[in-house]
Amino acid sequence: MLTIALPKGRLADQTLDIMEKAGYDVSAARDKSRKLILEDKDAGLRFILSKPSDVPTYVEYGAADIGVVGKDTLLEEGRQLYEVLDLGLGKCRMCVAGPAELKNKLDEIPNKRVGTKYPNITRNYFEGVRGESVEIIKLNGSVELAPLTGLAEVIVDIVESGRTLYENGLDVLETVADISARLVVNRVSMKMKEEEIKPMIAKLKEALADEE
Amino acid sequence: MGNKFYTPDGFNDQFPGICGVKRELESKLRNLFLLNGYEEIETPGVEYFDVYKEFVKEEELYKFTDSKGSLLCNRYDGTIPTVRFCAGRNYTLPVRFSYIENMYRSGKAGGGKLCGFTQGGIELLGASGAKSDAEVLAIAIKSALEIGITDLQVSIGQVKFFKGLMKQLGIDEEGQLKIRNAIANRDSVTIEKLDISKEDKETLLMLTESGGTYDTIDQILPRITDDGAKEALDNLKEILDIMERYDFLKFVSVDLSLIESIDYYTGMVFKGYTYEVGFPIISGGRYDDVAKSFGKEIQAVGFSISLTLAITALMRQDKFVPAKCASVIVGGDFESATATAEALRAEGTPAILDTTGMDEEALENYAKEMGIETVMYMDGGEV
Repeated sequence: MLTIALPKGRLADQTLDIMEKAGYDVSAARDKSRKLILEDKDAGLRFILSKPSDVPTYVEYGAADIGVVGKDTLLEEGRQLYEVLDLGLGKCRMCVAGPAELKNKLDEIPNKRVGTKYPNITRNYFEGVRGESVEIIKLNGSVELAPLTGLAEVIVDIVESGRTLYENGLDVLETVADISARLVVNRVSMKMKEEEIKPMIAKLKEALADEE
Repeated sequence: MGNKFYTPDGFNDQFPGICGVKRELESKLRNLFLLNGYEEIETPGVEYFDVYKEFVKEEELYKFTDSKGSLLCNRYDGTIPTVRFCAGRNYTLPVRFSYIENMYRSGKAGGGKLCGFTQGGIELLGASGAKSDAEVLAIAIKSALEIGITDLQVSIGQVKFFKGLMKQLGIDEEGQLKIRNAIANRDSVTIEKLDISKEDKETLLMLTESGGTYDTIDQILPRITDDGAKEALDNLKEILDIMERYDFLKFVSVDLSLIESIDYYTGMVFKGYTYEVGFPIISGGRYDDVAKSFGKEIQAVGFSISLTLAITALMRQDKFVPAKCASVIVGGDFESATATAEALRAEGTPAILDTTGMDEEALENYAKEMGIETVMYMDGGEV
């Protein structure tokens, strides 16, 4: 029996589509009830639906063998996992954004204040890549408000189309990382359930290749 | 009342019943280590910070000062204090030491991992080569079996192989760090994006997919030209040969992606896994450079097993039988009860003596409550 942690929402459905293409019976997981654990004994699969940012926790602690999680969450949480496959879903970028007039002028602001939902990614980027200390202001949503209200000079956030930014007079200033959904595996499960997990990775890989 | 009733995050009390089992497992391990000639030592549990500072991230040590202002820390592992102990004395080498101690690691706890936990382990100091590596690996497997972890998978790797391969591929230090993280995370996405030849990529991907035994080694060997990397593979082969003699090959697989602690280990490394805990319960390897920090050249290899994680695994695998203290309580007439209890104890039957003067009914009720099977109520000399 393999336990698979899926992030509630669109990403879960898209993952199930890929699994179906790879030849897995995932009908149990399509159940639209409010059940949180969906099990199919015949297929040897158990699905758990969790908040996206909790998926790495379930997988790292071994409560789930496999999980699907955005690279943004992986970078932020820094968990001990095997990150085996890029599912190519939910593609976007992690960016430094701010008022459009700051473009190419990021270096000119001393002691920046950065608003973000991702304090670890932000710290790693500014300290590790840019080599500067910044004041990080942790926010929980609508991060774009921070530069607009003077709470921070810039923000670090996920950018998909960039529409919210442009409509508010903001722009992408630098790209921190490319983001997409990854298949992660618990390090112990990879050894203890190798016979189930390795073929699954191979089949999913094939299904993804067919799509391209 | 504040925090009076609670233990700090990451620390647990050991409940009666569980503590008893833990002590039994400890003595099984102790016997196994002694049987193999590994004498037990006890280090104080408090070390100078200097002992650890080269090996452990500062934030992972519990630090405090003594009355002279010296910076101290709690014991983080069994190996470093053992090497310190050995390096400061003139032991005839090789020498074999073992320990069963509590370790203290500040940081994230969860999933069965604690900040304070018990490890048993051995160190074989002053011995190099695959035969020594294999001895430690075999005892590691025996120790898991001995304490009831029979669903066991042990992955063995070789950090020298990775170092040699990096030399062969001509990858600079920055690139090495990136590849190292990618391989340790089995992150094929990053490897496929690397700016190296297709063939080199394939070789690196083989590391992330390894998991067989001889086949894994034979598959990658033709691609290897670096002498150090070749030697590393030979070392693994010889270890596999010896495992076969112990009939332990069924527990072992080769995992060339085991390179997380490449700065600490210098040769073969291994980790042991079981069902129902998300973290390895066994960890070991060759660490020839550690003694250099104490000004000595001592080639060494060792392993540790987490008794705390092992007990968690046994519980979750429904293999755990809580220890019982006593199955008999003796009460009633105090004089004859004392004599009866002592007689039982002399036979080796654990017996509780009622010292509070309960009447027969109260004694029956108490025994029921406490799960004590037999009640002996002494009515002047008779049961």
